[in-house]
Amino acid sequence: MRGEVSIAELPEVRSCLDGGKPTRYDARVNTRIALGVLVLATACYSGRTADQAATETDSHSQGDASGDASGDATGDETGGETGDALECGPGLAENSPLRRLTKFEYNNTVQALLGDDTSPANAFPSEELGNGFGNDADAQAVSSLLVEKYVAVAEGVAARATATPEDLARLAACAGEVTEGTDRGVEDACALSFIEDFVARAYRRPLEEGEAEELFALQQLVRADATFATSMATVIEAVLQSPSFLYRVERGVVDGKGRRRPSGYEMATRLSYFFWGSMPDEELFAAAQTDELLTNEGVLAQAERLLADPRSRTVVRFFFDHLLPISGLSSLERDEMLYPTFSAAIGASMTEETQRFLEHVIFESSGTWNEALTADYTFVNGPLAQYYGYEGVEGEEFQQVSLDTTQRLGLMTQGGVVAGTIHSNLTNPVVRGSHLVQKLLCIAIPLPTGDVLDQVKPPEPDSGATARERYIQHSEDPVCASCHKLMDPAGFALENYDAVGLWRDTENGQLIDASGSLPTGASVSGPVDLMRKLAAAPETYTCFSRHWGNFAYGRTLDGGDKCLKEQIDSAFIESGNDIQALLLAITQTDAFLYLPEPGADQ
Amino acid sequence: MKKQRTHSRRIFLRGAAGVAIAMPWLEFTSTSKAAPGDSAARRFVAVYTPGGTVVDNGQGQNRWIPTGSETDFTLSPILAPLEPIRHKLLVLNGLRMTSAIGEQHQSGICALLTGTPQGNNGFAQGPSIDQVIASIVSGNSAIPSLQLAVRWGTGKSHGLLHPINSLNFENNGASSPIPPRLDPQAIFMSLFSSLEPDDNSELLAQLERKKSILDLVDRQFTGLSGKLSAGDKHKIDQHLEKIRELEMSLENMVVPSEVCKLPQWVDTSGYNPGTGINADDNGQVKDQSTDEQIPQVGRFMMDMLVMALACDVTNVGSLQWTDTEAKHTFPWLGLAQHHHYYQHDGGFRPVECEQIYTWYSEQHAYLLQAMDAVDMGGHTLLDESVVFFGSELSQPSSHSKNDVPFLLGGGGGGMRGGRFLGHFDLSLPARSHNNLLVSILNLFGDNRQTFGAPDHCTGPLGGLT
Repeated sequence: MRGEVSIAELPEVRSCLDGGKPTRYDARVNTRIALGVLVLATACYSGRTADQAATETDSHSQGDASGDASGDATGDETGGETGDALECGPGLAENSPLRRLTKFEYNNTVQALLGDDTSPANAFPSEELGNGFGNDADAQAVSSLLVEKYVAVAEGVAARATATPEDLARLAACAGEVTEGTDRGVEDACALSFIEDFVARAYRRPLEEGEAEELFALQQLVRADATFATSMATVIEAVLQSPSFLYRVERGVVDGKGRRRPSGYEMATRLSYFFWGSMPDEELFAAAQTDELLTNEGVLAQAERLLADPRSRTVVRFFFDHLLPISGLSSLERDEMLYPTFSAAIGASMTEETQRFLEHVIFESSGTWNEALTADYTFVNGPLAQYYGYEGVEGEEFQQVSLDTTQRLGLMTQGGVVAGTIHSNLTNPVVRGSHLVQKLLCIAIPLPTGDVLDQVKPPEPDSGATARERYIQHSEDPVCASCHKLMDPAGFALENYDAVGLWRDTENGQLIDASGSLPTGASVSGPVDLMRKLAAAPETYTCFSRHWGNFAYGRTLDGGDKCLKEQIDSAFIESGNDIQALLLAITQTDAFLYLPEPGADQ
Repeated sequence: MKKQRTHSRRIFLRGAAGVAIAMPWLEFTSTSKAAPGDSAARRFVAVYTPGGTVVDNGQGQNRWIPTGSETDFTLSPILAPLEPIRHKLLVLNGLRMTSAIGEQHQSGICALLTGTPQGNNGFAQGPSIDQVIASIVSGNSAIPSLQLAVRWGTGKSHGLLHPINSLNFENNGASSPIPPRLDPQAIFMSLFSSLEPDDNSELLAQLERKKSILDLVDRQFTGLSGKLSAGDKHKIDQHLEKIRELEMSLENMVVPSEVCKLPQWVDTSGYNPGTGINADDNGQVKDQSTDEQIPQVGRFMMDMLVMALACDVTNVGSLQWTDTEAKHTFPWLGLAQHHHYYQHDGGFRPVECEQIYTWYSEQHAYLLQAMDAVDMGGHTLLDESVVFFGSELSQPSSHSKNDVPFLLGGGGGGMRGGRFLGHFDLSLPARSHNNLLVSILNLFGDNRQTFGAPDHCTGPLGGLT
């Protein structure tokens, strides 16, 4: 079948044994392996794509000297520690790259700023993979197309905001009263006062000298040949393309103890984009004007307010939409003959089941990741209850129901989660196992390369009654097994859930053997046992905090973020893996509260 | 919507004071032709098609490779549609993409124009040759390069920029992937609206406002750049560079001429350029209405690409026919499954695959002939260009990167068409396609001897001229 190659020489075997560090031509060994997400030895069948798995392999946490820094072209080499040398003193903030508004953030911001709820940023070209949340500051290149879209989208937003006198009145009361007969001096005063107010909000800080004047000059230039409304629209267009709007510039201030921190306004922006994905509200702006946000306590107080506000639910949903495979459930296509009860509406309900469940756990119940993973209940509406076979729920509203805990336990056994990685009518234990291992345990699994890659083919559908039989080559062939032993066994333990998330005891008439294991070493006897063992593994919690860290800081945490990771992890664990506590703890880390000293980030 | 006009229209010139002047129509000849004797190539076009070709149809036949000698050969069934333009075509066989290291499809599209393996972020580790060529030839053009794509962002990429669909990479040190333009109507408006004479006063006023805004924003970015640390400054400078490119393109208004004409407008209302966002990993979510319009959208894109060159909007273009996932159907060919299904998801189907590859040859023949129909004064647009055609692999069922199908069209830099280059000395190591990339650069007057990953390049391939 294959050429004679010594197994030990194969790079993929070495790499699996080494814990996931395939060599690349530039000879830089980097633990951040985007490819690890794109996964899987089953030829062109793969799992999730758009997210990037963080990497925290077992051997890496022993501290190899491979702590490479970000992928930024300027090569920020703050890493390289071997696991014991770095001082983690207070005020040490290692990386703080400039962040640009993402599509999600741009949409929320223009809604807050101008009431535009058309989600115009969806027209921007694709965001890069990065950390999987679209906000990785090191994966925010600017293309010609993006700049053109900034222009076009700004034109659209500005036109909508100035279309009628009522719209103008929403911008500024005086603007709604401007008519053809209005005295030019009155008009000019109105334009200037609008600019001073609007631009300060859009820039998220007080205006510096000349900033209002340069926009007023633009307004005047345009007003010479066009209407008042057009001149106001032009101001809005310019502001939406300005670096002070598109980028979260942080110049910082020096606090009473001589350390650099974000200014009050800059911290307000950090907080609002973390918890709401949008610009600060009036209360945050007011806090920014005082010294409140220059103290750790002040930051925490606002963080608590923002987290308690309903606007934080949007961000939490966004986070889980990207961590879990639940955003495309309504477009899962399944054979109607094989799965007559599944539909797009059921798929959409499954997404809501998971999101409603997580909202309950985090905001109404204990709020721990452990509870999310091992809860003995879920949320369903009438149609979904009928689908799963739960009694007593009718109508469209979601209600809590108890699970049969011999069959399901917690988030990862919910129908949408187990169906969401599958894109055929047959289950695929490899993609399921891979998602769990890479996303929930942060263990990176490299792709096959070279000669191994050439041989890879998906199994024929009729090559075995059960998935375990069909994927037998992964365990029999030592070359495949070196990597597949890390993920297939977790997927086998989920085989009692079919391709539409329903329970089954048999496949093709054969009783399903749902025994398996986790790469942590724990053997499991079935899906419920899998969830208990997953929830018992410490890696599960450091992995979860890693994802939130990536999302909160807009980066991919790597070896250079050791101190930061320690701060987050200890806070999370001490709180009993309380998710709200984790989010608040993030705002109390040095990386959030301080800025790097000049020269630290080049 | 815009309608095509013929010759009775007014055009606008910039007067000395920068004020627009309406002038009666005058005949112009294009200002940017290669002078006779100017040896370097002037235009570059890269065309990507997915899934390679049929190297082995299961019965031992290679359906792509021509038969015969270098100058006396018969085109294969798959290449037959290119017969009318064969005298300006080079068929290359026997090249291997040895630098395509990584995931089996991604590494192919990643290395195709860059000659580098996938890096840690999944993308290329060097610029694509079109970007390098753009810095050589873009002097007089409005925009440095133009990337277009038809039915892009399918399958696993879910419409996002992804190693599975990225062909072009910036020459900016970070080799950032470049998102292609997807919306044919938006492309038509942004490239050719200055050729449409209706509503010109409003258009011009809008243009002036746009320029004033960009002027202000440019100053803001410049001011900010000076206040930042090195890493942040790099990002702002990159943004500023793109703003400046946009400002320049607004200064270089396209004027109609003998060769520069408004492309035939096409109604593409059933075509959703962003349909990739709704894609699922396995291509089971289908978009019938969009797929049905692929042929006419493709024609429209090719027409616009040709006119973008003829009008000196740009000298460098690339066209992607979908991406390596290729998870869309082909209703006009009677194929109800997506391309990847016929590649191997449903088991390798050589007959259907051949149908698809032959259709791509027909489209490519259209492009080359359209370029050959533009008279630049003594020679055609095709004659002064180099048109590259390639795919991410050769045989789809095995994902092989050996004998990857390459075509070169045109006569830029002295390239001599009408030949089949496939008879390499078998006693020498197999030629890496990096060597081809070097030779292409040489055609543009760049005399480097290596490109892409150094350990995958042994020098120029040679033999093109």
